[in-house]
Amino acid sequence: MSKTDSLQESRQDESTIMRVRDLEVYFDMSRGQSRVVDGIDLDLKRNEILGVVGESGSGKSMLAASLLDAVVDPGVTNGEVTYVEEDGTETDVLGLSKKELKRFRWETVSMVFQGAMSSFNPVTDIRTHFEETLIAHEEDLDEGMERAKEIITDLHLDPERVLDAYPHELSGGMKQRALIALSLVLEPEVLVMDEPTAALDLLMQRSIITLINEIKEKYDLTIVFITHDLPLITGLADRLAVMYAFQLVERGPATEVVRNSAHPYTRALLKSTPNLQTPLEEMRPVEGSAPDPINVPPGCSYHERCPLATSICETEDPDPYDVTDDHEANCHHWEETLEME
Amino acid sequence: MRWTVQRLLQGIVTIWAVMTVSFALVRLLPGNPVDFLIVDLVQQGVEPAEAAQRAQNMLNIDPTKPLHIAYFEYMFDVLQGNLGQSTWYSEPVTAVIGRALPWTILVMSYGVLLSFLLGIVGGAFMAYFEGQKLDLALTSYATFMISVPYYVLAIILLVFLGYRFGLFPASGRVPTGVTPGVNLPYIAGVLHHAALPILSQVVITGGIALQMRGNSIRVLGEDYLRVARLRGLSDYLIATRYVGRNAVLPIYTGLMISIGAMFGGAVVLETIFKYRGMGYYLVRAVQTRDFPLMMGAFTVIAVAVVIALLVADITYGRLDPRAGRGEV
Amino acid sequence: MSDATAGADGSTEDKYADLLSDEEGVPAFESVMETRETRRERYSRKFDTYVRTPLAIMFEDWRAVVGLLIISTYVVVGAFGPMVMDPVLMGEGEPLISPFQNWQFPLGTDRTGQDLLTMTVYSTRPVLLMMGSGAFFTVTVGTIVGTLAGYKGGALDTVLSTVTDTFINIPGLPLVIVLSVIIEPTNPIIVGIFLSIALWAGLARSIRSQLLTLRRESFVESSQALGVPTGRLIRKELLPHLLPYVVINFVNAARIVIFSAVALYFLGVLPFEDSNWGIVMNLAYENGAHYRPDALHWLLVPVFAIVFLSVGLVLLAQSLDRVFNPRVRARSSEGGDEDESTTATTAMTGGR
Repeated sequence: MSKTDSLQESRQDESTIMRVRDLEVYFDMSRGQSRVVDGIDLDLKRNEILGVVGESGSGKSMLAASLLDAVVDPGVTNGEVTYVEEDGTETDVLGLSKKELKRFRWETVSMVFQGAMSSFNPVTDIRTHFEETLIAHEEDLDEGMERAKEIITDLHLDPERVLDAYPHELSGGMKQRALIALSLVLEPEVLVMDEPTAALDLLMQRSIITLINEIKEKYDLTIVFITHDLPLITGLADRLAVMYAFQLVERGPATEVVRNSAHPYTRALLKSTPNLQTPLEEMRPVEGSAPDPINVPPGCSYHERCPLATSICETEDPDPYDVTDDHEANCHHWEETLEME
Repeated sequence: MRWTVQRLLQGIVTIWAVMTVSFALVRLLPGNPVDFLIVDLVQQGVEPAEAAQRAQNMLNIDPTKPLHIAYFEYMFDVLQGNLGQSTWYSEPVTAVIGRALPWTILVMSYGVLLSFLLGIVGGAFMAYFEGQKLDLALTSYATFMISVPYYVLAIILLVFLGYRFGLFPASGRVPTGVTPGVNLPYIAGVLHHAALPILSQVVITGGIALQMRGNSIRVLGEDYLRVARLRGLSDYLIATRYVGRNAVLPIYTGLMISIGAMFGGAVVLETIFKYRGMGYYLVRAVQTRDFPLMMGAFTVIAVAVVIALLVADITYGRLDPRAGRGEV
Repeated sequence: MSDATAGADGSTEDKYADLLSDEEGVPAFESVMETRETRRERYSRKFDTYVRTPLAIMFEDWRAVVGLLIISTYVVVGAFGPMVMDPVLMGEGEPLISPFQNWQFPLGTDRTGQDLLTMTVYSTRPVLLMMGSGAFFTVTVGTIVGTLAGYKGGALDTVLSTVTDTFINIPGLPLVIVLSVIIEPTNPIIVGIFLSIALWAGLARSIRSQLLTLRRESFVESSQALGVPTGRLIRKELLPHLLPYVVINFVNAARIVIFSAVALYFLGVLPFEDSNWGIVMNLAYENGAHYRPDALHWLLVPVFAIVFLSVGLVLLAQSLDRVFNPRVRARSSEGGDEDESTTATTAMTGGR
């Protein structure tokens, strides 16, 4: 293999697999229009783990759903969500027909929801869930079930026991893993996970994180991991995107974003994380509260809570500023932020 | 398996309890049944002494016997299928009941089945079109329906369809002048006569439809529904195996409990339509103080209900895997 | 070690600091306990949660408003009607006057010339009493039995369940018929209690199964582990979960009670002193009102009275369902990522 070939290959690996531009999700409500995703640009690189971090109510679940064009009615999704295959073919996800969407979901981009507890039909067993999915996508049943069993085993579960069980017979951690297996049974390229560990105990959380890493390697996945738990994702993610008030405020390699945060909100999040070694007096919650999706203030959405806010922050919504090649922050005062302790 | 056995035993205990209750009830009734009958017989011209003897024989009750002996004898009789002799109709209670029971079951079971079917389908429809005009119209209609007692509907049907327009017969079980048997005129006649009582029960459709609608809406909001759609499952599969089964489960219990209620309804409906079923005879028995018939009817109805509930309980476990152990 | 000892001197706020400090008097927590409620605030908050918010939600729904309006009309008529109107007399007017003919007999008269409107008004009070007592006893007995059986389990459960099952299996209406032959109740409250005998078992059963599910919830386990006494646990933790169900069942029981009571009067099975709607229906039917067009109103007036009241009850029950069932509410308004709180504390504690 020549040098140019390997260069090309590495560029292929870093190539974008999904591209999001100007994404908006809004709901028309009696008191106004609720914009739960307010103009987001995002690139998802092939084979990376992207962590999307934000508070509850910041719009991250809606962002996740729009990657599959799965925002619940009556929500409206606008903008561009493009899926890029390895050979460069692009698919406009939001423009897919119903039939095409059915194939796209679960076969190309799959999703694991927050509530594994309630993602299974209580009256059917796990095996049926798998079989239903395979049949609906016209896959060969035997082959598919073999695959399923393999995935289940990779997740450290006993296939026979799990497949024959009903959802209520499984523990929380088992259900979560079974759900992950179900989302992988059609060999998707991208897996979107919305707070998959939220309802589990700490030990189980850690082990699932490890598992996710393993399956990502084995099944060649790209993973979008949505969470509010910054410390949880820091070790796992390659890149981080921080969401605040329905917008992205910072993007970049995980280590960069954590060590050299360029947005005050990210800094605040990091500081508010309880840490065994920090003395109690130094712990600071993030003051104030998140904006109402109907009444987003003009200017930078964070200015009301930001210690660095000045008059420009009240009027101008910051565009992304380049901190480094890879690292962007939507803050007028990003340089000062870097200096913050 | 163990739970099934336990449940069966419980059923037997319940039947025994009900029989005891009916025995106690009848004993509490004012007036001595034997005396009633003696008076009756004397009025018919029988000699008092002989009347007393006859009364005792007919009733199978010796009023001088101590209560507990009477109780055991009663139980013994019932287990053998002997429910005594009806004082009013002068024939074995079992005969009277045997004639009446099939008719009641005919009317009531069709009524219940029809209502539940309409209710479940209607409710599913309403949930599907939730918020739209069709849903609102049907919901208002259903709400109105459950505000109307079934006997009121019966009266209205009787007035309009029975008397005014003469579409359906106002009373009786069978058409006159037709030979009974498996022939078309007879069957048609039977259905014709049973139509109004059956239709009167359709008021409960409203309640079931609303329940089904509520359940379906709840299920539609569940996570697993959303996941099922994302997994690409067909609308048909989602409607039946996901929404349908989960929404119907709570109604299933209601169905079985309403079997108990339906005999109560039979009482009123059969009286209004002069339809000679169990309910009709029960009311007549109360009015004529025909204690053996009363007790017998009571017991038979109760046993039927116990069996129905037992079947329901045991089959529910097959429908809902979360139950099974007799807990839900 | 910090030397900021706010509150360690035992003043104003952090009485908790005293509890949590170690021996040198250094508070283990320099607490961020800024939310400290006064008793008044606590009551105000409870009032909000239990009274003001449900009422607000309810009144958004036209059904609640209409339902309550209807029911209160009946209550007012029942309470004050007899004071305002003279009792019914026979031969007051011409027999079988049609309704809406004249002001003296707005709803017409029956065969003996009695004014139907007065009769309807006078019947309202006993009917409401019957309804109220019937619903009350049904719900009370059903809830108590169901809760005990479902929560305690074991032998108590087996016994109570068998009793409950027995009552479910005994056909309700026939039972009441037989009972009323024995006891012949005339007091409407007693009649209500009678009817509740037939109804409580169904409620007990479903409450029992709800409790069986609730019992396994983790908050119950944690309360038990904390040593919370059973009575208090049931009262403060479990009953609030059951409350919606119980309230809705109360309203439905009221409706069933009145249906059954009227049915029994109509059949002529229950004894009567004064007249009530069922009795009027009975008399009308006996006199063939259902096939005599000129007497039809005699039958229909009480029918309307019943149906109208039921409509009120049903509307109320439906709107209550909406109050207690947030999902039903949510489908008509919100959407979006708005499940949990968005305050600062969630950022700090990770939203858990």
